[in-house]
Amino acid sequence: MAEKQLECTVRAAAYQKAWFAELREDVFEKQKPYAIVQADMPLELFHAMDVPVVSNQWWAAMVSAKRLAPYYLDNLNALGYHDGLCRYCSLSLASTLASTLAGNPTQAAPWGGLPKPALLSARLTCDCIQRVFEIWAAKLGAPFVPLDAPGASELPPRWWELSRHRWSELFESHRLDFMVAQFHSLIGTLERITGSTFNFERLRTLMEGVNQQELYFEEVREMICKAPKAPVRMHEQVSNVMAAQWLRGSDWAIAHARAFRDEVKKRVDAGVAACPSERVRLMWVGAGLWHDTDFYTAFEERYGAVFVWSMYLAFGPDGYIRYGLDDPLRALASRTVSFNEQLHNPPWANEWIVEQAKAHRIDAALVLEPLGTRPSATGNLFIERALEAAGVPVLPIAADMVDARGWNGLEMRQKVGHFLERI
Amino acid sequence: MPVVGVTSNTVPWELLRAAGFDPVLLSPRRRYTPLADRYMEDVFSARVKAIFDFLLSSEAAALSAVIIPRTSEQEHKLYLYLREVVRQGNSQSPPVPILYNLLHARSAEAEAYGLARTHDLKSTLEQLTGRAVEPDALATAIAEGNAARQAIRGLLQQREGPAPRLSGTEALALIGAWYFMDRVEYTTLAQEALLEIQTRAPIQGPRILIKGSLQDTPDFCAAIEAHGAIVVAEDDWWGSRAAGLDIDATIDPMRAIFDKYYFDAPSPRVFSGEIADAWFHRKATEVDGVIVYLPEEDDVIGWDYPRLRDYLNERAIPHLMVRKESSASIAAFIERLSNG
Repeated sequence: MAEKQLECTVRAAAYQKAWFAELREDVFEKQKPYAIVQADMPLELFHAMDVPVVSNQWWAAMVSAKRLAPYYLDNLNALGYHDGLCRYCSLSLASTLASTLAGNPTQAAPWGGLPKPALLSARLTCDCIQRVFEIWAAKLGAPFVPLDAPGASELPPRWWELSRHRWSELFESHRLDFMVAQFHSLIGTLERITGSTFNFERLRTLMEGVNQQELYFEEVREMICKAPKAPVRMHEQVSNVMAAQWLRGSDWAIAHARAFRDEVKKRVDAGVAACPSERVRLMWVGAGLWHDTDFYTAFEERYGAVFVWSMYLAFGPDGYIRYGLDDPLRALASRTVSFNEQLHNPPWANEWIVEQAKAHRIDAALVLEPLGTRPSATGNLFIERALEAAGVPVLPIAADMVDARGWNGLEMRQKVGHFLERI
Repeated sequence: MPVVGVTSNTVPWELLRAAGFDPVLLSPRRRYTPLADRYMEDVFSARVKAIFDFLLSSEAAALSAVIIPRTSEQEHKLYLYLREVVRQGNSQSPPVPILYNLLHARSAEAEAYGLARTHDLKSTLEQLTGRAVEPDALATAIAEGNAARQAIRGLLQQREGPAPRLSGTEALALIGAWYFMDRVEYTTLAQEALLEIQTRAPIQGPRILIKGSLQDTPDFCAAIEAHGAIVVAEDDWWGSRAAGLDIDATIDPMRAIFDKYYFDAPSPRVFSGEIADAWFHRKATEVDGVIVYLPEEDDVIGWDYPRLRDYLNERAIPHLMVRKESSASIAAFIERLSNG
């Protein structure tokens, strides 16, 4: 595994591990509730009720990084779920299903495994996620609360210029109304589970905290754009940003974002580059390659090619910040209604990614074409064409984010090497 | 009468008809989809890709609009792709895409939302035609649609019981036609077909229910029936479940139309699974065997399969899962059923 260049990265990993251990202790010993949710859910509603959340995608990434995905996914297929089904969103389910197998060492699950949640919740984007979560909820014996997802028909250009202050123009009011109505149902469930009353003032405070946190990330993004060479590797950006995003708006998350900003600034001020021989700036489009994160530093030594951009840091400021919090629930709805779509579908994704490529002085882009997670594979051709039209060469990478089966790391590194030699 | 295209069963035919349109299901057959291939990834189904290719071609000029329901994620993305191609100016003005935001989760919020969007669709259609959709026109369209449903149910009766007279291959063609025809004309022809079918001798063979990907051609039925079985039902919106119940003609017509398409139309997004499975559970007990068809492009029904398999096992209902149409395992399965 590539060295960690930032102290923040080490601290983020340690904090996450300790946080999860505490969550397990709270659930097992104090019977405190927690929730398993999709990454695009409004986590703030749970945080405002002191219900910790484990993101499905975070857990899948953990399982994948621990090299457990092949075992769990083989088992999923053996149970009758065919191998053409999505893997990223179902790997965590697979880990739960495998835990019931005779002789399965549940201790092998990362950090002791997932305890039983008080509820599961997901926004119904693709047609499979309701199924994955329903199966999972039945297995865990916990309720599943879905948020349905109508499509957008008003599609104003340059969404990121409207999202902070003019979000009510960005999304149809009926979609916001509907999401708010669903939030009320979800809040009702959380109130029943916790025995507490939802506090809207607390939600507003949390969202103000989220805004502050994302502003720190925006400063980091700006530094990466403007510094002569990238001060922080993409993989370390992801580790620091996502550790905070899962707990966004909390004191720790805000403090961590600030510390991350400070450490990156110190490096920029001192002229420290993540890769001093940087000659080529790369963009990674798509979810992370969680089973082979060393891939992201594999081209530095020979080609001076450095991954400087992924959606994880860049989307923070543009996707999360909301001003005008008089009605915090509606503002939160405006972040939720098209969250996933903005990252993966036209017109949002292609337009934004090209803008990002220009700002980050990107020389070439690698675009993940997910093999085993079909809904995430959409929008790619629009993105690739838009990048190429903007003068950014593109190499599609056919791979799964979490499933190492079929991944030939050596072959893929050679393929990327040939691509870098050509550009 | 201007023609509008629809992409699924969940676009209210009655509303379009009452607005003065001639609705037609888009179901183009295309071996190659060069226009779609420029924008659409291989993860899309052949059906959706063919529709997209058609809409980008000059053939679509005959359509006044295309109405795409939020009935599957692929259709949602089809809508977004179409909008983006238009925005980029890369296509010769395809028909106006209209998103019908009908949701399928059963909740008070989704129901209220869907009803409001149905009223929105009515307003959109009125803007397109420049005239109001009158209550009388709605009543007439509902009556026409219900008559066609009744005719389909008559055909479906010939697939039921121990001695069916209508093969699945024929049934899919006869029923599927209603998505493309004037429904008054369809009713007449379906009734004539029924009279002819009633004079036939019963068809012998194990009675099969198909579950899985959409059967929008008779090909898979034909592959099964070639081995001596008879397909008596399909759990999708093309065959056995195309008609469903009538639209209630005694209540507010907009409410009645919405209720029909919200509560009584199959969709991959119907939630919960218990509601989505109800029809299958009932029908599976009336047949000799179930074939679950999950082709390579499936990424949805495969999640249901282990649950359905367990249901069938618990009731000792013979079943087979296949991923290809021409499977030797189909022949062996039917032979086993034939031999009792």
